Amino acid sequence: MKRKAHYLKHFTIALLGSAFIMGSMETVYADKESIILAIGGENPEGYDPILGWGSYGNPLFQSTLLKRDADLKIVPDLAVDWSLSEDSLIWTVKIRADVAFSDGSPLTAEDVAFTFNTAASAGGLLDLSNLQKAEAPDDETIIFTLKTPDITFMQHFISLGIVPEKLYGPGYARNPIGSGPYKFVRWDEGQQMIVEANDRYYGDKAKIKKLVFLFSEENAALAAARAGEVDVLGIPSSFANQDIAGMKLHVVKSVDNRGLMFPLVPNTGKKTPDGLAIGNDVTSDPAIRKAVNYAINRQALVDGVLDGYGRPAYGVVDDMPWDNNKIRFHDNDPAKAIEILEKAGWVDANGDGIVEKNGRDAEFVILYNSKDILRQGLALTVSEMLKRVGIKAIPQGESWDRIKKELTHLHVVVYGFGDHSPLEMYKLYHTSGPEPLYWNAGFYSNPVVDGYLDQALLAKTFEDSIPYWQKAQWDGETGFAVSGDAAWAWLVNLDHTYFINKCLDVGQSQMEPHGHGWPITANINQWQWTCN
Amino acid sequence: MPQSLFLKFLLQKSIKLLVLLGAVALLSFFLVSRSPIDPIDAYVGAAILKISPEQREVIADRWGLDKPPAERFFCWAGRLVRGDFGISTIYNEPVLSVIGKRFITSFWLMLLAWSFSGVLGFLLGIAAGAQEESLLDRVIRLYAFTMASTPTFWVGMVLLTIFSIELDWTPICCAWPPGMSAEETCFWQRLHHLLLPALTLSLIGVAQITLHTRGKMIEAMNSEYVIFARAQGDSTLGIVFRHAVRNAALPAITLQFASLGELFGGAVLAEQVFSYPGLGKTTVEAGIRGDVPLLLGIVIFSAIFVFFGNTLADIIYKYIDPRMRRMAGT
Repeated sequence: MKRKAHYLKHFTIALLGSAFIMGSMETVYADKESIILAIGGENPEGYDPILGWGSYGNPLFQSTLLKRDADLKIVPDLAVDWSLSEDSLIWTVKIRADVAFSDGSPLTAEDVAFTFNTAASAGGLLDLSNLQKAEAPDDETIIFTLKTPDITFMQHFISLGIVPEKLYGPGYARNPIGSGPYKFVRWDEGQQMIVEANDRYYGDKAKIKKLVFLFSEENAALAAARAGEVDVLGIPSSFANQDIAGMKLHVVKSVDNRGLMFPLVPNTGKKTPDGLAIGNDVTSDPAIRKAVNYAINRQALVDGVLDGYGRPAYGVVDDMPWDNNKIRFHDNDPAKAIEILEKAGWVDANGDGIVEKNGRDAEFVILYNSKDILRQGLALTVSEMLKRVGIKAIPQGESWDRIKKELTHLHVVVYGFGDHSPLEMYKLYHTSGPEPLYWNAGFYSNPVVDGYLDQALLAKTFEDSIPYWQKAQWDGETGFAVSGDAAWAWLVNLDHTYFINKCLDVGQSQMEPHGHGWPITANINQWQWTCN
Repeated sequence: MPQSLFLKFLLQKSIKLLVLLGAVALLSFFLVSRSPIDPIDAYVGAAILKISPEQREVIADRWGLDKPPAERFFCWAGRLVRGDFGISTIYNEPVLSVIGKRFITSFWLMLLAWSFSGVLGFLLGIAAGAQEESLLDRVIRLYAFTMASTPTFWVGMVLLTIFSIELDWTPICCAWPPGMSAEETCFWQRLHHLLLPALTLSLIGVAQITLHTRGKMIEAMNSEYVIFARAQGDSTLGIVFRHAVRNAALPAITLQFASLGELFGGAVLAEQVFSYPGLGKTTVEAGIRGDVPLLLGIVIFSAIFVFFGNTLADIIYKYIDPRMRRMAGT
């Protein structure tokens, strides 16, 4: 196609009234030194970690104290040693002495302390409100003082890229300098960003010397890939069933999950301070929530709604290091669902196909963001599946705005989460404040679960916290998982799909968080060309 | 025109501009402040679970969103009078710098589309109106009616599919080839990337001008002075160029300059379809994500732009139409 009609090209140009030389407009093709990626990643406010750049995926230009490897284990990056005091309030972190920023100036503990202290008050997308202060007693030591003990503070060591104190200022976000594997070259806003391998990088030096990130619309990116102009293309899984010449499909597992949030308290007319009504008399019955969980055929959702690109979800942190595999169960079991309903007094006495209890039908609304086809598909399919057990679930599309400002505490909502930090689990299941917004919107509250979650935060090391995260899900007697309170009905974990040049080896991709695209660059310094 | 009259004209126009800007600022601020979009939610996006209510307050404080709307308006208007448009919340840089960078890219697109549609539309209108109900007239009319009722983005998508994807004659996206810097690209490469978006915009823009020119042309061709010229044995071509064109030009000029506003709107859609990084794409972003300072900045900017377009049309009239010059003189 590309080469077929050179004379035709001349013809169009003449036709369109602009006769100019064709040689000058050929697209520049990637050689093995340089690749073109269409995976999104344009951050309109620039590449400043202090305002939150890099907290999803990796900061690329900057490096972090710690990082997670392909198995999500915490491994050192800038840091060589890190320890927490007896009262879990003071972190002491030692960093390597041989690190320089890409402009040649050394990276010292002062830069680390500056980055954390500035980020705490910058008003960006990082919540460092728990940080009292960060200090640098010498060039290689940083002391972080926390306000309250919280082991998940470590996530900031993993995600916050370190900026050079003396170069940081208003223009930094548009000309970032750091100590990451790549250095910034140029950014044509709305169009592309060009980066080059950083020769001063202290880790494994990147094998691909130049990256061009193309920031075009999804369809344009796909068309460009078809024309052979893109080497890495992030694509929704609904587009993954096709062949693109010269490219292979690369499927990455993720904790990017979707699930049904149940309102857990009955509707007694109570409202939040901002006036949002709370509670649902049907879903506040654990029998309903369990029956929903057992009745759903998750594999069918994966096959039907995700075109097979995903896996069933049983919890909020499936396959993460802090996942409790005892919470798995056999779903697609309508008989069990009906049995649970019957035991709790939900029977279809009037023969209309819907079970009822004390004159109330087992009926609720499933809300989804009306712009999201995937969530719509899930809501519609689940609603069909629940008919089999006599539960009437009415799918209803709404804007996020209405869901957040009026409906979230009243109805079942299709939400999506998934993070590399268990803090998310804490936010979703710990007893919430009076105005939780998205944090535990169902007002779930179990003192035993709260206890485990709080103990997890108090742990001395991240490894020590893992048993508590697992017990909060299910400790053998209670928990928020289906065998316990069944606070949510998790449905699916998405796979993130990419088309990748057949000559490009991207190594083993990390299990990705919520958000498709940029996270694939987590191991980008290991990518290499396999063809000549 | 005597100098004092010209000064009076300028003064009148300046007062009108000030009143217009005041009204536009007030109305658009009111509309934006009633918008259901929560800019903080839009900013936080996927990080929603990581941001505590306390952190939301810190963000609101950074953007000045913690104050009531009326206070925010006066604060913003006060700074505007001093020429400070504020800081865009999405881009975290001064609004004028955001607009400046993108307007340059959009400017070439709009200029090309605007001149192309103006010239082509006028010529087609004359050709169609010169001989009413001829085959040529019918073809041109059909084309104009079709285009007048076709959405820009649809034309853009059709052209993109045919020329970029199927035939591979034009690039799929962007303002220049990926991987190159603006300095490395040559004029032809820029033009090559500009071609399809500009064509999309002008194909649509042509319709209005064609139809109005055609109408005025038919009117002129049926007028008494044309019948008189015919009686004296002038040829159709001679009549068209000596008598009708000047008359038909007036609505074309009005429309051409008044269409600057539509051009802005059309550019928004065309830039979306072609991933052309201009002001249009940014306007959409500002709206979707509730970036009030940027959106208002763009509104004010485009109001000024359209106003100057219309003023220019007023001035050009006076040179083309002797009657108006005389009216201004009395």
